[in-house]
This record gives sequence, C-alpha cells and structure tokens, in this order.
Amino acid sequence: MTANRPSFDSIKAGDAPAPLVCGPLTRTQFVRYAGASHDFNPNHHDEVYARANGNKAVFGMGMLAGGYCARLLTDWLGDGSLQRLRIRFASRFWPGDVLTCMAWVAEKREVDGKGLVDCEFSSVNQEGEVVIRGDATAVLPR
Amino acid sequence: MDPNAAGKTFPPYEFHVERGKIREFADAIGDPNPIYRDPAYAEQTPFGGIIAPPTLLRTFLYEPRAASEALAVKDWSYIVHGEQEFEYLAPVLAGEVLTAQDRIVSITEKESRRAGKLQIAVIETTFHNQRGERVQIARRTLVETGKRISE
Repeated sequence: MTANRPSFDSIKAGDAPAPLVCGPLTRTQFVRYAGASHDFNPNHHDEVYARANGNKAVFGMGMLAGGYCARLLTDWLGDGSLQRLRIRFASRFWPGDVLTCMAWVAEKREVDGKGLVDCEFSSVNQEGEVVIRGDATAVLPR
Repeated sequence: MDPNAAGKTFPPYEFHVERGKIREFADAIGDPNPIYRDPAYAEQTPFGGIIAPPTLLRTFLYEPRAASEALAVKDWSYIVHGEQEFEYLAPVLAGEVLTAQDRIVSITEKESRRAGKLQIAVIETTFHNQRGERVQIARRTLVETGKRISE
C-alpha cells in the first residue's frame, strides 16, 4: 500500500518507518509459513525432530522474518519499489518470541536519473537479539 | 561440499505463479496488502494485476534438487542458510509462467574459530517470464560448518 509513500527529494538518511511488531509467534504460524513457502525442514514444524536435534523447540524460518521485513519495506517505500533485497540470517527465534522489524535509510543516490535509496533493516527479538539483518535498495519517484 | 561443483549450470525448470499461492504466502507473512489478493484493486495499479511479494520466489527453489545434490553434502545438519538475496528486474504477476535456472556461482573456504573450517556455496537462480524477459535473480548462500549445528 503506497498511501504515504515518501519521495526521493523528501527522504533523507536516518529516516525510518514505524517498527513492525510480529508476535508472540506461534507454532501454527511456522506451520502455515512451511506450507506457503515449501520450506519443510522438520526443525521448523516437527517438535520431536527439533528436540532430538538439540533444539529447545521448533524454531521459525529466517525467511519468515525476512518476509516480515520485506512487508515493512514495501508498506513504507511502495509496492514494486524494491530493486534488490538481501537477508542475512543471524540467530534462531522460537514460539512465544516477539519480533520487532525496523528499517532505516542509509543513503540516497542518483543513478542514470533514477532516485535510489539504500536501506538497512533488522528484526530483533524481545531481548534485543538480532534474528536477521539485511539491506535493500528501492527506487523512489522525485 | 564438492568444490568442483562451482561453475555448474543446471537444467531450467518451469513453474506457474498462481494467484492462490500469492495470497497464501501473503497470509503466512501476515501481509494484508490488497495488491496480493484483490484483483479489482490490483488492476487499477501501475502493475495491472496481482503481484508477487518480494520474497515469494524462494518458494519455488526447494523442489528442484539438482543444484543442491551437485554440492554433494554428506550431512545437511551441518549446513546453514547464511544469506538470501533477490534482484528485482521486473514485476512478477499472478498467472505468469516462469522459467528458473540454477547455477553454482562459487564454493569457497574460510576458517572460523567458532565453527571450524567453513565451506561457502553461492547458488544463483535466474528467472525469466513467458515472454523471455529476465524478471528476477535470487542468490542463496549455504554454509557448511566444521561442527554440527542444529539449524
């Protein structure tokens, strides 16, 4: 949704949208994402397997947190505005965790007359531990 | 991992970007945006129809096994997905038929005090639509650790 989409001229380094808070997360949300994304690694849906494999429970997919952050970016900068997106997986997250997704402008630049905005983002759990971090580039209208 | 797999390209495969899958995926990431679910709304946008969310195409990369088999991983419980990157060249719309092709870009080694000897593989997938336009590139980085990890 692009109701209050910022323009290239108005946006500046450090600008940030309101954080997106997701959770407390449930096993059902992990299972739903498994079905939707075809990620059937049993660590994400089979508690017996996950525990036998040394985990305290099933844990969420990094790409689920990546999906939350992508939503934060498209809600902020506009549908179809992204030119690239990179997600780096940092640590696991668990049922009951609350993830806060944040993004901010690192810099803006003009390339071939196009207004590009380089952003960074991260998703942290309720302890402030980084679950994923990443960067993205979006093109914005003047 | 087999370092000789670097540079290999694999047979292209085709898949349909279905409207129902887009909605299911948007629901799973909790995104209520009508651009992923409401055809009447989507028709009036510059895209002219329902589009794929930014991270959707990773979904179609689990089933084709050729590239991951070529890595010759002995035990997948030593493998972590380190990074996932997308380049967006054109919108992907519901109803399109995409062709994807995987290539193992590189397999490199690194020493890590925490996790022993690391091998890092980058697999790149290029997506073309039914008109032959290159629409997206996905890169996933897989890391094989010297120690067993639970991810």
